[in-house]
Amino acid sequence: MRIELPEILETIRMTEVEHFDIRTVTMGINLKDCISDSLPRLKNNIYEKLMRTAAEHVATAEKVEAQYGISIANKRISVTPVALVGDGYYAEDFVEIAEVLDKAADNLGVDYLGGFSALVQKGFSKGDLSLIRAIPEALTSTRHVCASVNVATTKAGINMDAVYLMGKIIKQTAEKSADNDGIGCAKLVVFANAPEDNPFIAGAFHGVSEPDVVVNVGISGPGVILRAVREARNADFPTLADHIRRMAFKITRAGEFVGRKVAGLQNIPYGIVDISLAPTPMPGDSIADILKAMGLQDVGAPGTTAALALLNDAVKRGGLMASSHVGGMSGAFIPVSEDQGMISAARAGHITLEKMEAMTSVCSVGIDMVAVPGDTSAESIAGLIADECAIGVSNSKTTAVRVIPVPGKTVGEEADYGGLLGIAPIMPLSKIDNSHFIHRGGRIPAPVKGINN
Amino acid sequence: MSRLNEAEIRRIAELAVKQLEGQATAANVEKVVHEAVQRMSGQGAAAAARHERMKNVPVNNHAKGQRIILTAFGANSIGILAGLTSELAALKCDIVDLSQKIMQDFFTIMILVDAGNSDVAYEQIRERMARVGESFNLKVIVQHEDIFKTMHRV
Repeated sequence: MRIELPEILETIRMTEVEHFDIRTVTMGINLKDCISDSLPRLKNNIYEKLMRTAAEHVATAEKVEAQYGISIANKRISVTPVALVGDGYYAEDFVEIAEVLDKAADNLGVDYLGGFSALVQKGFSKGDLSLIRAIPEALTSTRHVCASVNVATTKAGINMDAVYLMGKIIKQTAEKSADNDGIGCAKLVVFANAPEDNPFIAGAFHGVSEPDVVVNVGISGPGVILRAVREARNADFPTLADHIRRMAFKITRAGEFVGRKVAGLQNIPYGIVDISLAPTPMPGDSIADILKAMGLQDVGAPGTTAALALLNDAVKRGGLMASSHVGGMSGAFIPVSEDQGMISAARAGHITLEKMEAMTSVCSVGIDMVAVPGDTSAESIAGLIADECAIGVSNSKTTAVRVIPVPGKTVGEEADYGGLLGIAPIMPLSKIDNSHFIHRGGRIPAPVKGINN
Repeated sequence: MSRLNEAEIRRIAELAVKQLEGQATAANVEKVVHEAVQRMSGQGAAAAARHERMKNVPVNNHAKGQRIILTAFGANSIGILAGLTSELAALKCDIVDLSQKIMQDFFTIMILVDAGNSDVAYEQIRERMARVGESFNLKVIVQHEDIFKTMHRV
């Protein structure tokens, strides 16, 4: 099985020129065995377990990077939803738990730790409510901790009390970090049908049915897929899909390989590879550019949703062939601030929240890293969340909202978060009143799945 | 049987290299040739029996996980190949396969290396080869072979 020179050069071109890397190697750690009726003991148990379990995580990932010449952009940790681990404690106690998580993440050298989370699709436990109320403070007083709240599932319907509450929590979180354009909200995701093995931040958490420790991998390769699309030139759609599929196979194989190595060297089970295409603000590492290369003048043009559907499906075909265990979100991400092409489309007013909502139905996540005016009401944000949940719940897929009401700013201005979080142009959100609808309370019933339309 | 002359031994060695294909490391070739010479010289039925037993066992002596692909590219200049290969020799790395191209003064080389006999750590090989590359203004990338197998083979 001789490796040919063009194959070697292609791999090198992918990593050196087209920004192909492994976006994240995320170690999932169960914290259920840390539960204690004493807060100091609980905090100590969590800290000890994280430091013990993930001691070698970053060093191992770096070793694998060097050995195979594929860079791993982020080394992360996800933990059991903290609302479960700290159930019975008060909001201020949860802030302390978040600080312990942050301290551990800092000492371990990981960039983010996900799992400051609650699953409330059907209702709140005392711990769930305390955790959610602690989110604004926890995200402001920590650097690495990320929070997520699942408010809807296809089986349970949409918990509208939680949706409204999250609208208010997002507002509060933005206010708390007003000095930094509400950056706290970049670490907070509201989900419908949240996956339990998602390696991507900010929504990563270690599901209750997962093993004690597991390594999950997220790939990133918009740059190489962009080349595949360009190489297809004026080909018809089946040929275009074929080009994407073949490239997705290669990058998924690399992702799975790296994940297995990082897991194997630490004697930890390998979990899944998440085949989401994750963009970065770097030029050429953009999902929007792929859609444009397919023949759209800009994202937002009629046909954008179809182009995204084609892309997403072709990536899945290649990815599923390449790996036995594909999981997590596994769909293209379309974050606005983290994608150069999306940023420019938002600046030009070509992409709107309404179009992004439609795009959600064929990709993962949805309204992601979107900045809206600071004076947007909690009810409007809740309405946005409810709409995204409705798409997720009715189509049995994951959807999410990561929205930032930037304090003191409005349409025409921008929020610059730097690094991977990028620049977010403030996008207009409809101000038509929905408060009577949002204030009703209770749960929107689970959808009928027998008569599909 | 009379002793084999030098030309005959070389022919056996060449044949062995061809037979071993990708696994033709110095150690492998030496072993196979040695056994062949012993057998043909009629020195001991034990060697022949061992050869018989080994016949169906794939010859794969390189330490597992030690095959490395070195890729280098940059502007062409005199002595690049000599520089890279002599450093590999100093590191006790066997060259298993090599392919090189010059495209419009742009030098590209791929060397498949068996580092199974090297007593130098992988990281050091990487670092030393990168340093040689720097002296020629080349970008040198050292990667384990498995990543290519993974990405390009079903």
